[in-house]
Amino acid sequence: MRLFVNVTLGGIAEGLIFASVALGLVLIFRATNIINFAQGAMAMLTTFIAFSVLGRGVGYWPAFVVALACGLLLGGAVQLVLVRPVENKPPLNAVIVTFGLLILLEGIAGAIWGNTNRSFPAPFSERGLVVGKTSIAFSHFDVFIVVAVLVLAGLIGALFRFSTLGLRMRAAAFAPEAARLLGIRVGRLLTLGWALAAVAGALAGVLVAPTSVFSPSYMDLILVYAFTAAVLGGLDSPVGALVGGLVTGLVLAYVGGYLGGALEPIGALVLLIVVLMIRPEGLFARPTARRV
Amino acid sequence: MVRAWSRRATSRAKALVTAVSLVALVAGSLSLFSGAAGAAPTTGVTAKSITIGATVPLTGVAAPGYDEIAPAMNAVFAWVNAHGGVYGRKINYDYVDDAYNPSQTTIQTRKLVLQDNIFADVGPLGTPTQLAVQGFLNSEKVPQLFVESGCDCWNNPKAPYTFGWQPPYTVDGKILGAYIKTHFAGKKVGYLYQDDEFGQDFVKGLDMEIPKSSVVSRQTYDVATLAGPLTSQMSALQAAGAQVVAMATVPAATALALLPAYEIGYHPQFVLDAVGADPPTVGPLLSSFTSKGGGSASQASAAVGLLDGIITNAYLPAENDTSNAWIQVDRKLLQNYAPTVWQKYGLDGNTEYGLALAFTFVQALEKAGKNLTRQSLLNAISKDGKSFDTPGLVPLTYGPNSHFGFQGDSVVQISSSASPIVTPNGSFPGVVQLAGPYVTNVGKGPVKAYTAKSSQPPAKLVKTA
Repeated sequence: MRLFVNVTLGGIAEGLIFASVALGLVLIFRATNIINFAQGAMAMLTTFIAFSVLGRGVGYWPAFVVALACGLLLGGAVQLVLVRPVENKPPLNAVIVTFGLLILLEGIAGAIWGNTNRSFPAPFSERGLVVGKTSIAFSHFDVFIVVAVLVLAGLIGALFRFSTLGLRMRAAAFAPEAARLLGIRVGRLLTLGWALAAVAGALAGVLVAPTSVFSPSYMDLILVYAFTAAVLGGLDSPVGALVGGLVTGLVLAYVGGYLGGALEPIGALVLLIVVLMIRPEGLFARPTARRV
Repeated sequence: MVRAWSRRATSRAKALVTAVSLVALVAGSLSLFSGAAGAAPTTGVTAKSITIGATVPLTGVAAPGYDEIAPAMNAVFAWVNAHGGVYGRKINYDYVDDAYNPSQTTIQTRKLVLQDNIFADVGPLGTPTQLAVQGFLNSEKVPQLFVESGCDCWNNPKAPYTFGWQPPYTVDGKILGAYIKTHFAGKKVGYLYQDDEFGQDFVKGLDMEIPKSSVVSRQTYDVATLAGPLTSQMSALQAAGAQVVAMATVPAATALALLPAYEIGYHPQFVLDAVGADPPTVGPLLSSFTSKGGGSASQASAAVGLLDGIITNAYLPAENDTSNAWIQVDRKLLQNYAPTVWQKYGLDGNTEYGLALAFTFVQALEKAGKNLTRQSLLNAISKDGKSFDTPGLVPLTYGPNSHFGFQGDSVVQISSSASPIVTPNGSFPGVVQLAGPYVTNVGKGPVKAYTAKSSQPPAKLVKTA
């Protein structure tokens, strides 16, 4: 029972991290039909910037804010400078651009900060909460992960659903031509979409770093699992990204806890195959009238 | 007319044949002459120099820590060169990056052998990487010396040019297993190991000593997909009630296992293979886990808490044992002959390893004699390797039928009350001796105490390092 509880809690904490990266992937895919392979590397870079800020002794929270702010700027800049020129080109162009960006950013981080493994501080204790007399695999920091990811997802959801800006963004993504005719500055909104996605990524970056070994490549595998999560959720649904992340995290944890840790990646692969066989469009994809 | 032409053609052909045979004869007698003089040039060796090479990870996942070894080896070679070289020959060490990627290892090793004409591949790192070039180096008859890996595979009769150096992981497993069997008798034991040759060899050794009935859980991880904390594995070990957890983990995996154990309040006796237990390497990965944001002053001391009490094996003297003559020499060599390495890393497990390996190679060169050939080098290792003076706690075990280096370890414990290991990156808990040193082999041989004295550094080295 204790094993089940701990494995489940570990899976939830890890799953929400996948979810936050997946959320960024989904936001970008919704807006521009591009898979951003540099999502993890962008998060890595903003986390390293936060790491440098932390090194100046300003405390955790200013560094946290700096990471998110840098995410916003980096996301916008990447869209304006790199992605916009390939937007109306064959999809492969964008894939290559974002993949190149991944390699470039990891190289830059390695050149500036070195490829050493380090550890990144957490704002709350990583000791497990005590229930009754036993520590469970859920720490104060894990609580922070849950709250932070849910708040971010809630804010993004609210923005899309209840604000005029969100409506415009949805319009720009869903029917760019019609939106443009109605006077919406589609280009700007796409830039904003990338910026928001990068903020979700930056959040994931600072959440992953303390529980991982922090180096320029630390987000690579997270991105693979986040991609699994996003595909599970249907690639264009923020709720799907959340659920997909949780399911991926839990499956990995159960496989690790009951079948053997070395089988975890196979577990993720089987999960992906099964879901795609049953629902090829993903669990939460909206009806595909668009894909004629 | 026709005859005249054909006669001329015949004489031309004759002249050609004569010329060719003359050239051949001259060349043949020249080579005979040089053979008689016994000075057929050995690749990579001149009267003034010896060029050796190696492939090591300087970038990529395996680089942190392991990228210190080759630069530290150069401290020994720089000292040798500053004192007249070996029989007047200075050592040039040409180490290149393979990023721990076997396909890169293949490309770079071919370049070293075929283009840079190295005499020997000395101190190349990694199991998968060196397995990829073992065949090539042996078919080219290039010594593949002192491979930085504890795989059993370096002792292979089909690879006469390959020699291992550090104790095989099976030996580590047997010695730590024997320690667990006697000192934790009746306790439940769990394993956590990397699912490749490293972890499997270690577990093979453990299983030879620890009764099957006391092993309650065997957990694994895949190093290629190591992304986050090993919560599931540690929870499973806890649920199985393992009181002793033996681990074969790389430093990053050690950190990712200790973190969730700490989180779930699981405090078994950890017994680690030395690969993942060097405090200056693992300490920085743990430092933030127990501290709250920022505060670097307290970070090193917080890491002590998680490492404190871990039992591991050692085949070289402890970095914090400053009374040890080898450690004193090591520190001086790094300070004087590799100041950048000293300023960046100090004497930690990796730099100490590089120095010890380089000492071994230099002794092999000295024993190989003035007329250095690849064969004379291999003969020297097989014949005299057992008596080389190295920092090792046990002697090397090279011989005509053994290409294993050390086959023994001490059992040590990381302790916050031991004198700390101080490096430029902070102060880390040192180790205290628990038992040993022991010697054994990868087969069924018993684990025996080694009682003879360990060797001392040569007087010249002590005086001039």
